[in-house]
Amino acid sequence: MSSATLKGPATPVAGPAPKPRPPTKRSGAVGRQTAAAWILTLPFAVLFLAFTAGPVLGSLGMSFTDLKQRDLRTPFAVNGVGFDNYVKALSDETFRKAAFNTAYFVVIGVPLTLIMALAAAVLLDKGVKKFQSLFRVGYYLPVVTSIVAVAVIWRFVLAPDSGLLNTVLGWVGIDGPNWLASKTWAMPSLIMMAVWRNFGSAMIIFLAGLQGILHTVEEAGQLDGASAWQRFRYLIVPLLRPTILFTSVTTGIGYLQFFEEPFVMTQGGPLNSTISVSMYTYQQFGFGNYSLAASMSYILFVVIAVMTFIQFRLLREK
Amino acid sequence: MTTLTTRRRLVIGGAALTATALALTGCGRSADSPDSAPKATSSVGGDPATGNITIWAMGTEGENLPKLTKEFEQANPGVKVTVTPIPWDAAHNKFTTAITAQSLPDAAMVGTTWMGEFADLGALDPTPTGIDTSGFFPGALDTTKVGGTSYGVPWYVETRVVFYRKDLAAKAGITTPPTDWDGLKSMAKAMQDKAGAKYGINLQPGGTGSWQTVMPFAWSAGASITSDDDKQFTLDTPEVQEGLKYYQSFFTDKVAGTDLPPNQTEAQFVSGQVPMFISGPWMVGSIAKLGGEKMKQNIGVFQLPKNKSATSFVGGSNFVVFKGGKNKDSAWKLVKWLSDAKTQASWFKLSTDLPAVKAAWDDPSIASDPLLPVFGKQLDDAKAPPAIVNWEQVATAFDTEVEKMAKSGQSPADTAKAIQTKASSIGTGS
Repeated sequence: MSSATLKGPATPVAGPAPKPRPPTKRSGAVGRQTAAAWILTLPFAVLFLAFTAGPVLGSLGMSFTDLKQRDLRTPFAVNGVGFDNYVKALSDETFRKAAFNTAYFVVIGVPLTLIMALAAAVLLDKGVKKFQSLFRVGYYLPVVTSIVAVAVIWRFVLAPDSGLLNTVLGWVGIDGPNWLASKTWAMPSLIMMAVWRNFGSAMIIFLAGLQGILHTVEEAGQLDGASAWQRFRYLIVPLLRPTILFTSVTTGIGYLQFFEEPFVMTQGGPLNSTISVSMYTYQQFGFGNYSLAASMSYILFVVIAVMTFIQFRLLREK
Repeated sequence: MTTLTTRRRLVIGGAALTATALALTGCGRSADSPDSAPKATSSVGGDPATGNITIWAMGTEGENLPKLTKEFEQANPGVKVTVTPIPWDAAHNKFTTAITAQSLPDAAMVGTTWMGEFADLGALDPTPTGIDTSGFFPGALDTTKVGGTSYGVPWYVETRVVFYRKDLAAKAGITTPPTDWDGLKSMAKAMQDKAGAKYGINLQPGGTGSWQTVMPFAWSAGASITSDDDKQFTLDTPEVQEGLKYYQSFFTDKVAGTDLPPNQTEAQFVSGQVPMFISGPWMVGSIAKLGGEKMKQNIGVFQLPKNKSATSFVGGSNFVVFKGGKNKDSAWKLVKWLSDAKTQASWFKLSTDLPAVKAAWDDPSIASDPLLPVFGKQLDDAKAPPAIVNWEQVATAFDTEVEKMAKSGQSPADTAKAIQTKASSIGTGS
């Protein structure tokens, strides 16, 4: 058993499931089963079509029209405008600024979150046996805390004069900036806050992945004389590949939809330095520019789809 | 194999979507004239109101209004008024949804900047004859007019004046409040130099609503937001630039700061860090709450300083009747009663909302107040932005450019130009 695992391919996490035996019952029973399956899925299917697929397709159609709030009384009397809304969105200076900010947030935020999460998971898996569950809860707590409560705390932390962060920086002789009011520092502040808030959920998944790796693998590495770092780099990380793919995809999607942090902390300011694509889209919906906002959300959708595709390409098992 | 089927599915899906888009393209917009310029047909009679009247009102007004409408019910025995309080932050959405779904109450309190949008959606009933509008402050009355037609009446008003710390002004050697632009500037400087203030005056360096502080200076220099027919924006004029230039000079001279934490105006006023600011009547209460009654003695107010004029911003809420209401006739009777000077004075005592009717200011509860009469005088020269459908959107662009001007030194000329360009591309919506 153990030798098989050692020699086998590096995929102990999810091996192929055994094929189910073909049904041997009479076709009448199968027909009844099929009917039952349809009946049981019907409520979900209806709800999904009415409240998810319908609106999604509707908003896609809407993005090719000039629908505005005032047209809601006569929603079928609007004009199709082709890709005008997409052109308008992409040539909008603020939208481009928002796209840049979102990219900035994702490019810095996702790796930071994953590194933090993996580091914490490894520490919890190996180092701290005694208070493991306490730390696990502690790191996960920000994930389940309401963003509004988090925002209040972080405003105290980031306050310019008496804030915790600047007080601590003051002890080592650094004169901290006015974090949220500075064009340069507002975004790093939000990234810091988002990483703190989100790494817990990726950590839990990493922890599960680490605990799924058999200890014999590490023992074998140890016997072969690999150092701790080598074991981590050449055994653990490759074995965690599916987990890393999953966390990077989910964290990436979440971060591309970056909304709450600027919404509660900075309202996109100062000087639009923290406005995100989601937030700008939300603003346009608020102004009643429904078709323009719909096209913006589809631009974001396409970007997310492409990013996810790339991640699958880079990280899938070879 | 799997890729093939997915691809086929995508092709079919794409085709279906294109068809939908084409179908939508096919049917053009119907003639774009939502009953243009409706005429006031009904008139408000003198006979008592009857039946049920349903009302929506926001914030504390929504909570206090039932106390007032009880008096109306006593005067009109056949009537029952139901007030539904709604929170401010949910109100705009609730109104637009209700307008679309045709499920509106008979009458409602409406923020002055929403008038253009709601009238454009065809929801508001034009003000009938028989309601005397001559007693209102002119700036407030203007907010009810959309494209030449008046909808509803001003209900309560607020305007902005300059607040200052009397004790610190005395320390700075200022005995009489300034009346012109240079005077305001040198007073703020004196507060810094002689009264130990960090900044002389608190001005919003951009951000939500900063246009409300900037525009009065432009108005005072003779500017106007739109052309006379409300069709074109005129935000790139020398007058607007003059206002912007004066506003920016406070930041370049370091008399006002860009590095103050927002929403701390009261705290900075009480601590003496920033002993002046421009704001509305509600500040009296929130300063007293923070600094105590003793601090209240030290609050002084004076009208905005004069350039060509000394124009301030007028805000507040209007009272409207909806076109689709079931009991419009009685609803207008209620509105008429609400705009009576006596009712307005008793509403002030209930709510501390300032009356929109001039005559109500003679009531001793207002006339004998140490600060309020200044607001009354300022209301004689106060303006609101014209009722433009897209105003909220233009205002957001305005705020962003003001922020660039205050924080990153964008020149007033460039600022005016950028505001005008953005405003024109957004359009007035009419």
